[in-house]
Amino acid sequence: MEGGSDVGAWSFYITTLLVYFVVDALSAFSLNLQFGYAGVVNFGFIVFQAAGAYVAAVVTLGPSGGQASFQQYILGSHLPFPLELLAATLAGAVLSLVVGLFALRRMRRDYQAAVLLIVSLIALQVVSADVPLFNGSNGLTGVTWPFGQLFGATATGSPFLYLGYAAIIGLLVCLGVIWLSRSPWGRSLRAMRDHEDAASAMGLNITSLRLQVFVLGGAIAGLSGGLLVEYIGAWSPGAWGYAETFVIFTAIFVGGVGNYRGVLVGTLLVPIIFLEIPRFLPAVGYPGLTDSLEWVVVGLAWMLCLLFRPRGIIPERRLKASLHGSPREPAPAEGSA
Amino acid sequence: MLAQLLGSAADGIVVAAILAVAAMGFTLQFSLTNVLNLSFGSVMTIGAFTAYLVNVAGLSPWLGLALGTVAGALATVLLGRGVLRLYARRRTQLFEMMMVTLGMSLVIDYGIQAISQNAIYGYTVLQGSPIRMGPIAVTPIQVGIIGIALVLLVAVEAALHLTKLGKALRATAVEPSLARSCGIKTSRVVLVTWLVSGGLCGLAGVVYIISTQSVDYTTGELFLPLIIAAAILGGVGSLRGAVVASLVMGLVTEIVAGFGGAAYSTVAGFAILVVVLLLHPGAVFGGAEDRQLVL
Repeated sequence: MEGGSDVGAWSFYITTLLVYFVVDALSAFSLNLQFGYAGVVNFGFIVFQAAGAYVAAVVTLGPSGGQASFQQYILGSHLPFPLELLAATLAGAVLSLVVGLFALRRMRRDYQAAVLLIVSLIALQVVSADVPLFNGSNGLTGVTWPFGQLFGATATGSPFLYLGYAAIIGLLVCLGVIWLSRSPWGRSLRAMRDHEDAASAMGLNITSLRLQVFVLGGAIAGLSGGLLVEYIGAWSPGAWGYAETFVIFTAIFVGGVGNYRGVLVGTLLVPIIFLEIPRFLPAVGYPGLTDSLEWVVVGLAWMLCLLFRPRGIIPERRLKASLHGSPREPAPAEGSA
Repeated sequence: MLAQLLGSAADGIVVAAILAVAAMGFTLQFSLTNVLNLSFGSVMTIGAFTAYLVNVAGLSPWLGLALGTVAGALATVLLGRGVLRLYARRRTQLFEMMMVTLGMSLVIDYGIQAISQNAIYGYTVLQGSPIRMGPIAVTPIQVGIIGIALVLLVAVEAALHLTKLGKALRATAVEPSLARSCGIKTSRVVLVTWLVSGGLCGLAGVVYIISTQSVDYTTGELFLPLIIAAAILGGVGSLRGAVVASLVMGLVTEIVAGFGGAAYSTVAGFAILVVVLLLHPGAVFGGAEDRQLVL
């Protein structure tokens, strides 16, 4: 796979993109469940992915100060497969429970979103500054994957195998998310999103429901982080700036809020195709200029989506439920043109 | 121990002064337009970089302070009048407006990152040797920053309560449609508010980098959590509340930092908001779901 031939390099590149696609699809599905279905605006989403990635890294790197003594971290151990992914999932869930307990209290939705954004900004500051936690701004490297003894030390050495492994996990989780959103639980999420007071009057416990979807989303985020770090082998604060959350949000907007097929298309378009195209363009300016400009374009795309297509390019299909031939309820007001 | 505490408290008051300038601007804008403006941090960075460029050009740092203020005001008016109006015309709701301001923040932050080549620039002007009073050491400019914050508090409070425009502003903040039917040109009131709050924001950016002595594209974003926390904790629209909340947050963050928790200083400041939120949810985040967008 690491051969110098063009074919090898190309297949490696494509496989890597597909692994990213699986991770981003997991993130987008999780965020769509929270935002598209439940109306919970998780502006700190990337923090939960980061938590999963860090935990998956430290529980496989071995005790701190051991073979990788150039970096320091907490919780160092050697957990076998699949415990490290479980630990990552659990990390995302526990962190989102803690954050959710104060961020999801009944308050204006814009305050809620701002609080979550602040959590994202502060978490980055803390992890960068507190070196003993996860090796500060240098981050962790040397993360291996669970099948090291069988197929070679790192996942990038056997990308096809890793892709298969990630794809199976991704597919199962995504199907689970779709199933959940169609379940009665998913319908109550939508009820909460569209009319909180009415849903509350129907006997739904809004606070608990919101916390449930937040923790579930956090768990999936943690899992996606674990999958990502085992492939790329390193994780640092540079990988989870607050802006990363908005790539996923933009993907959802481009695809269609509340519409999983659309979300999948959006995930393919925004984080994969759009963010990878510049690699094939001739380099302009100083190194890193293209990256900055990409973020500017993500911001503009986000603003354009809000201006022209606030419900996404392929919007959510309305639920068609009629009782005894009574007319369907009018569509919720849409701000789109 | 006590010496450390006093030293940290002095630093805390300086941070509080910077925070107060920004929080006053934020709360003024928020109480009137009801848009939770997340691009506030980015505008701070614009002000800071303007001052840096003035310094590079070899001009007086005081001119940098003035031009940073002007840049903040112009940027805010441009965003408020140019961009947010566009969305308001399409009946974008308050909540989506906040998402729009976040998009603006992304564009500005990473635009600045592109222009500044993602580097950190030193900004060591007006520093001067510290004045020592026992364990407390403050530089003349730090005293100046505290003075600026106090003067601004008095000036803006006076303008709000003594001038006709200030009265119009308060009226519009409480009940925009009634204010409009009383003949108040709310659109002009909003324009003035954008100018004043943007100016405060730009100024806060400049005094912030005078204090930290460096500037990069994340400058405002790192400060944004404390600004929002202070503005919300102080009660939206209350300048005095914002200043008191800034003082509490400044003291807490610097004392935590002084006693070895530098990594957790912002967390400590934000934790105050969380604790208040948990103990008295109504006191801070009461109702106001039906607030109208005023642009």
